[in-house]
This record gives sequence, structure tokens and C-alpha cells, in this order.
Amino acid sequence: MEKYEKLEKVGEGTYGKVYKAKDKITGQLVALKKTRLEMDEEGVPPTALREVSLLQMLSQTIYIVRLLCVEHVDNKNGKPLLYLVFEYLDTDLKKFVDTYRRGPNPRPVPPSVIQSFMFQLCKGVAHCHSHGVLHRDLKPQNLLVDKEKGILKIADLGLGRAFTVPLKSYTHEIVTLWYRAPEVLLGSSHYSTGVDMWSVGCIFAEMARRQALFPGDSELQQLLHIFRLLGTPSEEQWPGVSALRDWHEYPQWKPQNFARAVPSLEADGVDLLTKMLQYDPANRISAKEALEHPYFDSLDKSQF
Amino acid sequence: MEYELENPLTGFEEHQSDTIPSLFSYESDHMTYISTSKNRDLDVSVRRQAIPMIFQFSCNSDPFIPYLAVNYLDRFISRQELPHGKLWMIKLLCISCLSLAAKMKQNDLSLTDDIQRKEGFIFDTETIQRMELLILGALKWRMRSITPFSFIYFFISLLKLKDPQLRQALKNRATQIIFTSQHEIKLLEFKPSIIAASALISASHELFPLQFPSFRTAISSCIYINKEKLLDCWNVMNSTVMNSYESVFDMIISLSTNNTPVNVLDLHFSTTTSQSEKAAAATVTITERDIKRRKISGSDLGYCGDKSSFQVTQIQQC
Repeated sequence: MEKYEKLEKVGEGTYGKVYKAKDKITGQLVALKKTRLEMDEEGVPPTALREVSLLQMLSQTIYIVRLLCVEHVDNKNGKPLLYLVFEYLDTDLKKFVDTYRRGPNPRPVPPSVIQSFMFQLCKGVAHCHSHGVLHRDLKPQNLLVDKEKGILKIADLGLGRAFTVPLKSYTHEIVTLWYRAPEVLLGSSHYSTGVDMWSVGCIFAEMARRQALFPGDSELQQLLHIFRLLGTPSEEQWPGVSALRDWHEYPQWKPQNFARAVPSLEADGVDLLTKMLQYDPANRISAKEALEHPYFDSLDKSQF
Repeated sequence: MEYELENPLTGFEEHQSDTIPSLFSYESDHMTYISTSKNRDLDVSVRRQAIPMIFQFSCNSDPFIPYLAVNYLDRFISRQELPHGKLWMIKLLCISCLSLAAKMKQNDLSLTDDIQRKEGFIFDTETIQRMELLILGALKWRMRSITPFSFIYFFISLLKLKDPQLRQALKNRATQIIFTSQHEIKLLEFKPSIIAASALISASHELFPLQFPSFRTAISSCIYINKEKLLDCWNVMNSTVMNSYESVFDMIISLSTNNTPVNVLDLHFSTTTSQSEKAAAATVTITERDIKRRKISGSDLGYCGDKSSFQVTQIQQC
């Protein structure tokens, strides 16, 4: 760890502080992420071993934030603590979108940027899914952005498996529910790649609106936000929904005109978004299918 | 997420055709470089001492665990210098490689304790942990090794074999050849995919001589395969697994002349079973080792090179 000079705290990851740091020899900027993977009686914990090697494998694509190496330092009790060293990107999608919403010159995010970011996001998600890995906590804060190069990469991946997504993060900040799929909110025990695609849809809408599509502050409020826009789900629309663990009788809302929620989005974009926000996870578009959607026809894919 | 050697890139049970190009592009990161390293002689001698230890320590475990441990060992010693002639260091290395392999494969945490109890030596947890971290660092935490097993399914799919029993028989035999040839240091210079392809060609040569030419063509014309390397590898492998070839002949002969119930059962099991692949592969292993043990304990000890005597040691001590 002496190799790195800590420059500043750049965030509070779900599992601990994240620092921007510089490699003292090469000058390379990195993100240092302390993990809670403490050594125990049995040496390196199997979960840490499997998760980190999984992360190592997944980060071999440009659409995932690259894990550069793993360092260990002894804590006060002489037990090694693991630090993950990632490539550094200057901002995240939340901050990026905020610069268009706030500040001296509020303006929409350029449609070409939304399209390119969505394509890169779907590429990254397709990569994870083809390797059998769900992210389960996709949100703008977890998508890192290089503004200059127009690059978007998925971060905070993998560790979700060993450590179930907590309700409160390390800093006791409430973990956001805004991107959580309805089947998760309704307590489904079997969920799959669809949960990530729901999040991708929410992120898509948020880039177009410059504000969150479903900003709920409790699980119930989160569901009601969704139902008010998309209509209360029915058995015909989503077979099995009323048998889910946390299903109750809800007010019956009718679906709203969806395009009005994302007025700046072109028709192909609205169509893709609709396919991502299907209630029945089985009907939700997959990341791989999304890449083939006409919305991306006008994108110059040679750059990827 | 579980890690299966046959399917290292995914958490899915079924094979994903999406990940095939990734397998071929990542495999170079998982190579060992013993045969080209500066300290070749030292590496070779460490390896020669360590491999029998790993097999001795891990008897009765899932056969993929010692295989994976040797894979870590090879990758480690080709990247990291070890002090010369320290037996305890080699023991520590073996235990740590096995411990890591067992943790990747399953949650069997008692393995290192069991070994230490049985073998009568003790490294404290902290020492093993330090060694584990040293290995992890040298291997850059790439612990989901891409091995020849990772490619077997893909190459078999090229052969268009319709009968699932024949596919299984071919896979079992190739699996056995891969296990056997792990000891051969000359094979370390080949990519895992080339070793898998060679093993399948060898297996088809034994089991399906009539279809052999078409199988060989199907595999060698695959876009990911360098034909010359494949031929080189096949030659090395052929001499390595010569013993195993003889075992198969033995098996057939013993079937036709001396029908011992055990062998009939085993052979039946290894060719027509629809049981889980792993179980079948393990049975073949036992059958062959059985035969080898019989043969060696007879009169033919002189025939066995170093590699086979490893197995002999292992069998006797298990």
C-alpha cells in the first residue's frame, strides 16, 4: 500500500470508503476501495477468494471498471485487510447528469450521449449476464464516466453475491430503492437478469429526464411510484404477481402515457425503455437483445 | 459463485456459447512459463517434489482439487522464485495451493487441518494465510483458472456426435488423458485449448478409430487452433499417455479372457453410464489406476518413468 499516495476521498462505496490515489512510481491514478474482507481463522475467506477472482475475470472488458490488483495491509490487530485497486475515472453518471440539471447552464443531456452511454451500459450488462453474474445494484452512482472520452463503465460489481445487498451502507446512508425491480420489492425469492434490466431502464429514463423516474423513499412508496406510472400490475399482465410474498391489495391505477414521462426521448428510445420496464421479468428485454434494438441503429458502433 | 473447471467463465450450469471467444482470448493469462523460465532446473525440481506431495495430501478428495492445486503451483513457481532446497517451504506451498483450490471448488475448510493432522506437521494459520496471499498476488487473483477442461465441451460440440453415450465416453477418456498428462512438464508450454484438443484427438483415436480422421479434421480446422502446435502437442501427449493406452488394451483383454466382475462393471460404467460426468470420470480414474497398480506391482516397474511413479506413490499411500 506504500505504493500509493492517497489524494482524496471520492466516495462512500456500499462496503467502505473509496479513495482517489496515485501510484507513486508510475503516476497512474487509481481508486482504492477498502473491503471488509478480513482474514479469519481459515486464512483468505472462500467468499473473498471467489468474489475477487470473479471480479478479476469480469473486469477484462472495457465496459467494466478494471480491477488492477489486490493489495493487503495489516490492520491494528495484525490481520490483513484487502484493498481492491481499480482504474480511476473522473466522475460518475449521477454527477454527470447533475451538471446538466444544475449549475449555470441547465440543459438536456445530448441525445447522442444518452444513446452512446446506454449502448455501453447494455454491453457491460450483457457481459456480466453472459458470465452468469447479476449486478443487482445498478444505479447512476455505480456507473463511472470519463467525460472527455465519452466512456461509461460499470463499477461496484461482484461483491454483491457474497454480501447480500445491505439496506444501510457502511455510512448508514439508506441504500437507494429507486432502481429496484418490482419483483425484488414484492419479495420474490427467484429473480434473475431482469432485475438489472429494470435498473437499466430506470437509468435510461433518468438520463432523458435529468431526474429519477421512480424516487421512492420506502419499499411501499417505491412500488406506488411504479404503479402510478405503469398501472397496478394484474395477473394477466404478470402471471403469479399476486402470489409474491409481499403482495397486498393496492389501489388500482391505470397506466399513464409513458412517453410523457420522458418527453425528450425519441420514439425508438421510448419503445426500448418500454421493453425494459415490463412488469413480468420474463417479458423484459435482455441486454443482448437491447443492443440490437433500432434505437441504436443510428449509433456509430465502430468506436466500441 | 461456484467455480467449475469445465465452465470457468460462468455461473451457469449449462455451457454458454457466448463465452467461447473469451475463453480463447483469456487463456494466455493462465499459462505457466516453467519451460522457458531462467530458473528452469530449480522449477523442475520443485515441481518434481511438490506434485507427489499434492496428490498424497489430497487423496480421496474430488480429483479436480489436486488438479487445480497443481495448476496454481505451476503458475506460481514460474512467476516467483523459491529458496532452494527448503523442503518445509515446498510443503507449505503445496498445502496453500491445495487450500486455495479447495476453497475455490467448495467450502471444505477442514482440508488443511486434515492434511496437517495426517501428515504430522503444523503450520499455523497465519503462515498458511501469508503463503496464500503470496500465491494470490503472484497469480494476480486469477484463480478461476482456464484449464484444458474448460474447452472439452466446445471441442466435442464440433464433432457432431449425436449419441450422448458416445459423447460421454469420449469426454471421460479425454478427461482421463488430461489428468494423466498434467505431470508432463513438456506439455506446460502448450495452451490449455491445445491440450484439450490433443486429448480429444487421442481419445477418439482410441475409442472411435473409424471416425478418427474426420474428428481430427474437425478439431484441427477450428479457427482458434494452430495446427502445428496441435501436432506438436499431440506427439508429446502420445508418448505421455502411452501407459494409459496399454491400460485400455489390458482392460479389453481382461474383459475377453478373464472376466473379473469388477472390470466388467467398471468398463460398463465408463462407457455407457448416464450418471454425472464427474462420477463417471472418477470411476475411469480408479479403473485405470487399479490396472496400473496391478501391472506395476507385477514386474514392470522399470518401465515407469518419473511421472508414473508419482501415481504409484500416491496409490500406495492413499
